[in-house]
Amino acid sequence: MITVKNLHKSFGKTEVLKGIDYHVEKGEKIVIIGPSGSGKSTFLRCLNLLEQPTSGEVWFDGQLITDPKTNINKVREHMGMVFQNFNLFNNLTIQENITLAPTKLGLMGKKEANETALKLLNRVNLTEKADAYPSQLSGGQRQRIAIVRSLAMNPKVMLFDEPTSALDPEMVGEVLDVMRELAEDGMTMVVVTHEMGFAREVGSRVLFVDEGIIMEENTPEEFFGNPRNPRLQDFLSKVL
Amino acid sequence: MNEWFADISYKFQIAFIEGDRYKLYLKGLGVTLEVAFFAAILGVIIGIITALMKLSTRKNGKRSILSYIAQVYIDVIRGTPSVLQLLIMWFIVMKDSKNGILIAVLTFGINSGAYVAEIMRAGILAVDHGQMEAGRSLGLSKGQTMRYIILPQAIKNVLPPIGNEFIVLLKETAIVGYVSLSDLTRTASQVSSRTFEAFMPLIGAAVIYFVIIKILSKLIELLERRLRKGDHR
Repeated sequence: MITVKNLHKSFGKTEVLKGIDYHVEKGEKIVIIGPSGSGKSTFLRCLNLLEQPTSGEVWFDGQLITDPKTNINKVREHMGMVFQNFNLFNNLTIQENITLAPTKLGLMGKKEANETALKLLNRVNLTEKADAYPSQLSGGQRQRIAIVRSLAMNPKVMLFDEPTSALDPEMVGEVLDVMRELAEDGMTMVVVTHEMGFAREVGSRVLFVDEGIIMEENTPEEFFGNPRNPRLQDFLSKVL
Repeated sequence: MNEWFADISYKFQIAFIEGDRYKLYLKGLGVTLEVAFFAAILGVIIGIITALMKLSTRKNGKRSILSYIAQVYIDVIRGTPSVLQLLIMWFIVMKDSKNGILIAVLTFGINSGAYVAEIMRAGILAVDHGQMEAGRSLGLSKGQTMRYIILPQAIKNVLPPIGNEFIVLLKETAIVGYVSLSDLTRTASQVSSRTFEAFMPLIGAAVIYFVIIKILSKLIELLERRLRKGDHR
């Protein structure tokens, strides 16, 4: 579903990604871990071109999206993204947050969008917040809304950029629960996270990214049970 | 004491009542408000467009041609006195037009636009970049995200300085006397030279400006409070 070929990304003189090749199959749950500054978030953001790669190719659903001729807005309609800082639209109510993109992009009428929004809100038990503004919600609630805001677009893949890193510890669980359900429903997911438990339990493949390359890639059992790369061994010994 | 009172009341009489002079002030106030109102609208429109132009980038992230054009406009307007801009408009650019109000509205609108542009730009930059990224990640274009997400938040951010700009603009229209428009200030000065009595007309005009601006700031405050109902900070 997503294929990345020889992906490089530099910010000025700093080379953050030094050649990444990877392939994500439909239905896979890819979990990316690694120390901060390793390039894992940049890698994720290159998948929907929020970061423009310096060189290399990104393919999505048979389409070369790094081609300048590709209409990236159309591609992004099928790739949901959830951010560390939620990024709910502060000037809109929760319901409007969810319905804005589907209606403005002409995918749904107002009525259909509102019905979809209520269904999604019900799914994360936040129906009563439909008319609230983001600032009236807790961090965990905001992130659950951010997830269903993306789901309203019926994406084929969901990208998660450290979705629980900005949350108070007691709110991490409610967000991970939503992500777990999503995984059970068969959603293709690429998740950058520090939640090792989640990686082990939900991930179909786990990637260790450091110094701008994929240092190790394996099933969760092998990845955590039998890490080969010394840097990964060192990293796991610190975080587990 | 009686004498003093009689003197004041006489001065008031000749400044405002005699020959129905209060009507002149009202007419002058009408000119002031008309010019300021339409110039403010024009200024906001030009300001938003200019701010967006100045922030626009090329594909490679560098500043666009439009951005440089906006920069030149802002530099020229801010770098020259508004009285001169008014005179240039009157005697050169629109020398064939007899419509003084129109010329004043255009001059002040174009002038104010440069200042509003910088205010708006600051307001747009103050909106968290994550808002744009979230909009783009959902498939919205840059323009759509700007319109539905960034600008509404930016405008809310900049209401206080925009209110300031409106107030400055309203008072700055007092220079339209240079092109023989009879606004409130010019009326007051004409009355004082005709009656050889400066105190009442000038203080009177000052009081009128003060009251109008007090009302204007109250209105802006109300608007600000209404737009803030979404946040709880």
